[in-house]
Amino acid sequence: MASVGFEKATHFYPGTEAPAVDELSLEVEDGEFLVLVGPSGCGKSTSLRMLAGLEEVDSGTIRIGGEDVTDSSPLERDIAMVFQSYALYPHMSVAQNMGFALEMAKVARPERERRVLEAARLLDLEPLLHRRPKALSGGQRQRVAMGRAIVREPRVFLMDEPLSNLDAQLRVSTRTQIAALQKRLGVTTVYVTHDQVEAMTMGDRVAVLKDGVLQQCDSPVRLYEHPANAFVAGFIGSPAMNLREFPLSREGVRVGDAALPLTPGQRRRLADEGASSALLGFRPEAVDLVGEGEGFAMEVGLVEHLGADCYLYGGLPGHPADGDLVVRVAPHAAPAAGGTVRLGVRPGRVHVFSPGTGERLDG
Amino acid sequence: MTAQTTPDTARRGPTTREPARGERWIRRTPLLPGLLFVIAMTQIPFLFTVYYSFQDSNLLRPDSGSFAGIANYGRVLGDPLFRNAVANTVVLTAGAVLLSLALGLALAVLLDRSFPGRGVVRTLLITPFLVMPVAAALLWKTSVYHPVYGLLNWALSPFGIEADWVNDFPLLSVVMVLTWQWTPFMMLIMLAGLQSQSPEVLEAARVDGARPLAVFRRITFPHLRRFVELALLLGTIYIVQTFDAVYMITQGGPGQASTNLPYFIYLQAFRAFDVGEAAAAGVIVVAATLVVAMFALRVVSSLFEEES
Ligand SMILES: Nc1ncnc2c1ncn2[C@@H]1O[C@H](COP(=O)(O)OP(=O)(O)OP(=O)(O)O)[C@@H](O)[C@H]1O
Ligand SMILES: [Mg+2]
Repeated sequence: MASVGFEKATHFYPGTEAPAVDELSLEVEDGEFLVLVGPSGCGKSTSLRMLAGLEEVDSGTIRIGGEDVTDSSPLERDIAMVFQSYALYPHMSVAQNMGFALEMAKVARPERERRVLEAARLLDLEPLLHRRPKALSGGQRQRVAMGRAIVREPRVFLMDEPLSNLDAQLRVSTRTQIAALQKRLGVTTVYVTHDQVEAMTMGDRVAVLKDGVLQQCDSPVRLYEHPANAFVAGFIGSPAMNLREFPLSREGVRVGDAALPLTPGQRRRLADEGASSALLGFRPEAVDLVGEGEGFAMEVGLVEHLGADCYLYGGLPGHPADGDLVVRVAPHAAPAAGGTVRLGVRPGRVHVFSPGTGERLDG
Repeated sequence: MTAQTTPDTARRGPTTREPARGERWIRRTPLLPGLLFVIAMTQIPFLFTVYYSFQDSNLLRPDSGSFAGIANYGRVLGDPLFRNAVANTVVLTAGAVLLSLALGLALAVLLDRSFPGRGVVRTLLITPFLVMPVAAALLWKTSVYHPVYGLLNWALSPFGIEADWVNDFPLLSVVMVLTWQWTPFMMLIMLAGLQSQSPEVLEAARVDGARPLAVFRRITFPHLRRFVELALLLGTIYIVQTFDAVYMITQGGPGQASTNLPYFIYLQAFRAFDVGEAAAAGVIVVAATLVVAMFALRVVSSLFEEES
């Protein structure tokens, strides 16, 4: 068990101009579950592979347990990795797969067998110990890959999208199992996923990456309620946050036929940028249906009943090309499609971003 | 007709519909010329060989040509020269196959990593396989093994080694040429094996703390098993038939020291003109090759099975 630290870690793949990971700085505490999340190609796997020692660090440092491991080989780092394809050794039985690392570490056979059996019990793999990976289902293979990591009792677990080959149902149950197991073992874990639901449910903290650059690293709640920029705001949450540019007026922002107030600080920073509009964001559930004379109007295009919730998709009257807004309402209050409703965003639930940089504007 | 076939089709189930007899022949006809050609070119000569092997047939005795039963086989098997040829063939084949496999594996491991100029190096390494066997043998005999002008003596003279390679080490000389020619073949098979490995499995082994040698021994080698088997089998079948190198370099000599089976058969047929005995020896060789290849494959397979 150990802490993990990235310090301005950068990686270039040969023959590419832009870095795949650009000056990544992150601290993961001892025993913490950190999730790296971001769209495809944003450099999640590359960051993880740098930590594993499978990819060189072109500049910057990487620490495990406070010690600089930037130039050490994977075998000196004492880490265990779960690959997306599981990467089980095809010609070895499940037991041999799980015991391989211990064998390499010259652990005596009785001790090795004891630890393999222990991990197998933990993961329900006992009846499968003598099978080859070929004779296992996808979920069983996933558990063997987990077992192979657990048996080692490493300082850090690294997992690269370990659930992406499972069906939706199994993914949800395995997700909770992994999170529980990690809490129980207390091993520092860095977990890569492109699925923001996985990230939000599993991580103690979540780091959002985009184009190799760290956008924000915070607790899931903070990430949801206080996104640092428009990218994080749009990436986290499902359905996504409503993000739109609205023109500035004298005292605030014009949303349709209404005006939303801005704080003096926000107004000043927008003015400094010379912006004529502001990027506003509000979550679908941060909106209430209000009466005539309040809020702004929305034309309802589509009503989606999900049982507990109801989502309205629509646009501002007269601006059909602006794309859809999404609003959550209680099912009993749902209007019919084709009508017009008036919406009020709850105070304090509006996020204001700079239209130029996408940066959050506060104060 | 229909009444008879109905229960048959019913039993086969709904998914597999066997085409009617006429339709089957229509489907086969386009393949027929090829099949006939292959049969004509390979099986008819073999049947003639089998036929001659039971005939007392010697080109020097025009009156010969009567049925001889298994007398030819008896004489061939009792011939000490034949047994000598068998022993030479075993040494030659085993030596060349194992050496070229080992070298091929080593080169493939080197070629499996990327370095500047890899494509050129790979092409150059393959070229020996593209040289005509006769030309290669002649080249080695005159420019490598020659006691006076040969490159081998020139290269080894600083170490005080000098030899008339073809006369002093006839089998070794042939083995070296064959190894030179067959290493690229083995290398290509091994390279295909190496490149079909999942890179993630290798990375997993590295993360699991395996050093490079352990990764090769425990992960790569078991994966290469099938490829090694294939290389051994194909190499053996081809190298058992070696004729060019023996004919060009040693003529089977000195004496019979490097006569292998194909050369022995050649001597029987075209020097002794004893067609019957040559045919019998040929049939024995074909049968033995089949048996040995199958047996060797089993043994090798089971050896590897225990290993993993
Ligand atoms: N071997 C490579 N050579 C060159 N470029 C690469 C290589 N591997 C990845 N890249 C590039 O580096 C960037 C980051 O890749 P990476 O694999 O880290 O993405 P990722 O975030 O894991 O994406 P995904 O969710 O699709 O797995 C991508 O733009 C990708 O095209
Ligand atoms: Mg990835």
